[in-house]
Amino acid sequence: MTDSRGAFGRVARRPETGSFLGLIITYAFFALFGGQVFITAPGWSSWLNAAAEVGIVALPVGLLMIAGLLDISVGAVLPASSLTVAIISGHYDLPLPLGIAGGLAIGLAVGWINGLLVTRTTIPSLIITIGTMFGVMGLTLGLTILIAGSTGVFIVPDVVTKSIFGSAINNMFQVVIFWWAGFVAAVFFLLHLSPWGNWVFALGGDRDSARNAGIPTDRVTIQLYMLSGFAAAFVGVTQVITFGSAQVAAGSSFIFNSIMCVVIGGVLLTGGAGSVVGIVLGTITFAIVNQGIFFTRLDPNIGSIIIGALLLIAVLTNDGFRKLALSASTKKA
Amino acid sequence: MTHTKRMTVALMSAAILTAAGSAAVAQDGANIFVIGGKPDDPFWSIVKRGAEDAGKVVEAQGGSVTWLGPQNYDNLGVDAAELIRQAIDQGAEAIVAPDWVPEAMDPAFQAVKDAGIPFIVYNAGGIEAADRLGAMNYVGAVDYKAGLAGGDYLAKAGSKSGVCINSLPGAANIEAYCQGFVDGMTQGGGTAEVLPLPATAEGNVTAVAQAIKAYLLQHPEVDSVFTTANLDAVGTVQGIAQAGKADSVGVCGVNFDEAILSQIQSGAQACAIDQQGYQQGFYAVSILNGYVNYGLSIPTREILTGPGVVDATNIEATMAGAQQGTR
Amino acid sequence: MTSLRSFLYRPEAGAILSLLAVTAFFVIFGGVDLATLLGAASWVNFAANLGIVAIPVGLLMIAGELDISIGAMIPAGSMATAILSGYYGLPIVVGMLGALALGALVGLVNGLLTVRTSVPSLIITLGTLVAMQGIVLSASVLLTGSASVAVTAPDWAKFLFGQLIGGSHQVTIVWWVIIAVAFAFVVHSTRYGNWIFAMGGDKVSARNAGIPTQRITIALFVLSATCAAFVGMCQAIQFNSAQVSGGMGYIFNAIVSVVVGGVLLTGGFGSVVGIFFGTITFAVVSQGIYFTDIDRNWSNLIIGAMLLIAVAMNETFRKMALSYTGKKKGAH
Repeated sequence: MTDSRGAFGRVARRPETGSFLGLIITYAFFALFGGQVFITAPGWSSWLNAAAEVGIVALPVGLLMIAGLLDISVGAVLPASSLTVAIISGHYDLPLPLGIAGGLAIGLAVGWINGLLVTRTTIPSLIITIGTMFGVMGLTLGLTILIAGSTGVFIVPDVVTKSIFGSAINNMFQVVIFWWAGFVAAVFFLLHLSPWGNWVFALGGDRDSARNAGIPTDRVTIQLYMLSGFAAAFVGVTQVITFGSAQVAAGSSFIFNSIMCVVIGGVLLTGGAGSVVGIVLGTITFAIVNQGIFFTRLDPNIGSIIIGALLLIAVLTNDGFRKLALSASTKKA
Repeated sequence: MTHTKRMTVALMSAAILTAAGSAAVAQDGANIFVIGGKPDDPFWSIVKRGAEDAGKVVEAQGGSVTWLGPQNYDNLGVDAAELIRQAIDQGAEAIVAPDWVPEAMDPAFQAVKDAGIPFIVYNAGGIEAADRLGAMNYVGAVDYKAGLAGGDYLAKAGSKSGVCINSLPGAANIEAYCQGFVDGMTQGGGTAEVLPLPATAEGNVTAVAQAIKAYLLQHPEVDSVFTTANLDAVGTVQGIAQAGKADSVGVCGVNFDEAILSQIQSGAQACAIDQQGYQQGFYAVSILNGYVNYGLSIPTREILTGPGVVDATNIEATMAGAQQGTR
Repeated sequence: MTSLRSFLYRPEAGAILSLLAVTAFFVIFGGVDLATLLGAASWVNFAANLGIVAIPVGLLMIAGELDISIGAMIPAGSMATAILSGYYGLPIVVGMLGALALGALVGLVNGLLTVRTSVPSLIITLGTLVAMQGIVLSASVLLTGSASVAVTAPDWAKFLFGQLIGGSHQVTIVWWVIIAVAFAFVVHSTRYGNWIFAMGGDKVSARNAGIPTQRITIALFVLSATCAAFVGMCQAIQFNSAQVSGGMGYIFNAIVSVVVGGVLLTGGFGSVVGIFFGTITFAVVSQGIYFTDIDRNWSNLIIGAMLLIAVAMNETFRKMALSYTGKKKGAH
């Protein structure tokens, strides 16, 4: 009896329990109302493709939130990276690897600046990344018009690059899904298996004691921001290669979408708790709701209502689980 | 902290260095002010190009063309009305402006009239606005007619069931495009409906592609898609391919860019409806320049610049224009 | 010297200095005619609409909370007015009350969820933001069959909420000033203001000191959502029509205005005057660029740079203020 209650407490205490239950319920709902197609391969590919891109951005954004930080600038880095690739390799016709390197470098550079500003000042990361978001947006627009003379730039990628970043397996599953899997594996290793992960958790718990405990908090913070800049830039690269077109006014939806995936996945914005599995589950749930709505006979307009309600339910149940876990552990004590 | 300052100062000076000295005041020719859309709007950058190209003649005759546009569309009518007043204040001798929100902008147009400045309404408002306000003419297209032309084209091509992608539900111009498309399909003997996308898909081409794929899988009878934004058309073609229907579903869209033109060239997209923004800027400025300098006039009332259709038959000439930023 | 110092230590010092710096920047490098800029309505109109939302958002930030649902509440307010009084033809008062009631209701939900759970308010209001976007869009499409609705307001309503003073200045400017004065009085001259600052400083000790923190938090959320709905309502009355889309730009614009106005996002520090000037600064940057020779394309870059410089400056002043009071204490 005591044993089972202990096991239940352990399961309920896990950050991803709530998100896993949410995912099961969401999938069951759309499998029931979404008809036959939703549960077949085309249906799966539909939400997996949508999940992969936001998922790549959500992973580092989740790590930042575990460390108690936010990154709004991802929404500006994504189009900045797409346009860099398109300008270098489309407008100037230079080799594509150079363009991709340029796009990714933009992401790393913006992340480095974010990290530097966050660690060197006491200004909250929300404000700093809003500032860099506006800055990067302005630079992207100004420089694109200055160089290319228009707000959209185009590129015809070669076959090899297209198959690496922009092809669709079986003409259905975009290759970015495998990149997402790679990102998940790498971030899982970093957060849960390497000592670096403990530092991230410690950073979110209490920064000052983390620093006193000898953790290089500044370096970890800068690395986290460079990771999220890199991830957003990577998605920008895959988008421009998949679609052959980069626009200045793109990417803003990634800001809140990535945060929603992370929160549905059970990560606390207050820092110190969360898991990669939770973020992945949250991303899948988010994508299923977004895509599933098109498989049902429901009015697509109510899609936003369901997403908003889901987010609120997710945070409330996560909150409930947390309180349960806390009270269970206090009782035990 | 010093890092912050140093960086921002550097950025600021970069902004100054690239600032263009466009507001040069001319001696004798016409000083024409053009009010248009925001700078990162691909359509408006083409309108601006048309106005600037017409401006080369204006400048050769000793005049100038000054472009004014809002930062965003949040407060569109009031912002644009304010820009019109600003043009008056800065000594405009002729004004070109769209009548986006008549309730907010008509008083400003009235002020232009009262100041005795000749003006042309372009892009929005129609000839009704030009007549009501006492403008010289109207130069532009009608959103609804663009949708109608798309529905008509696809229905004539044999489509029976269509869908219009609305990636910005709530925006009046997109609603007009879609309504026109639905009516055009219906008149051609088919049926059509509108698919609104959630706000979480805004500006995300992959979300558009996956939404269309899901919709087509769920609605196998649909054989044509109409898009209202450039990136949507690119995403739509991908979504159709991923649904395995590249051969059976036709795509048509409002406006285009190079990526869309190459889709038309390869046959992935049937047509694009062209509002020909270049013509709007070019003709509005040219007409006013001729009038102010030499008293020339164009007797034709309501100069419609669209809808034009771009398809396989005229793709080569269109591509040449796109490369020069005129289409 | 002392008076200059005491000025610099006030929360609004940064905002006023930023405003001067931005104006000087435009005059020196942009060739702006100061008289034209001051006489222009565009930036004042822009500031008024933003400012009515920015003040309660700023108070929430002083109390250590965030509200981003305002982005959905502005179109919600204008759609509520237009659907009730335009589509259903009810008296304009019903539409106006409906808009404000909707704002109060959403604010209540935000506030209740924030005080009843340990979830950060950014996340809660993100949820209500997305949900309200969907609700407004679906309601509009289901009820009226369209996403943009026309409404004609009677003359008195137009006079009060949708008038263009002198043909160019929106009457919302007057409302903005009234609201700013009212808030300034409440925050700086009543005990409620002290409570808000205390909550932002340390919520637990504030509660222990007997401050009804939960009620204040809920009230602030109700105020911010209602003010956003009020702005939407005024827009519907002025433009005789309402659209579902739009309003998202207000989220970041309001936060930037508040922060430029010297409010500390971590709470406990700021002033209504500061927020007021922060909003003006933001409006001058984003609208004033029309009056310059600078290409419009760079405006976002300047906004970003201004935000970072302003917060850096505010931080410096705060540090100075802290070390100054520290010294003073030492001397005693």
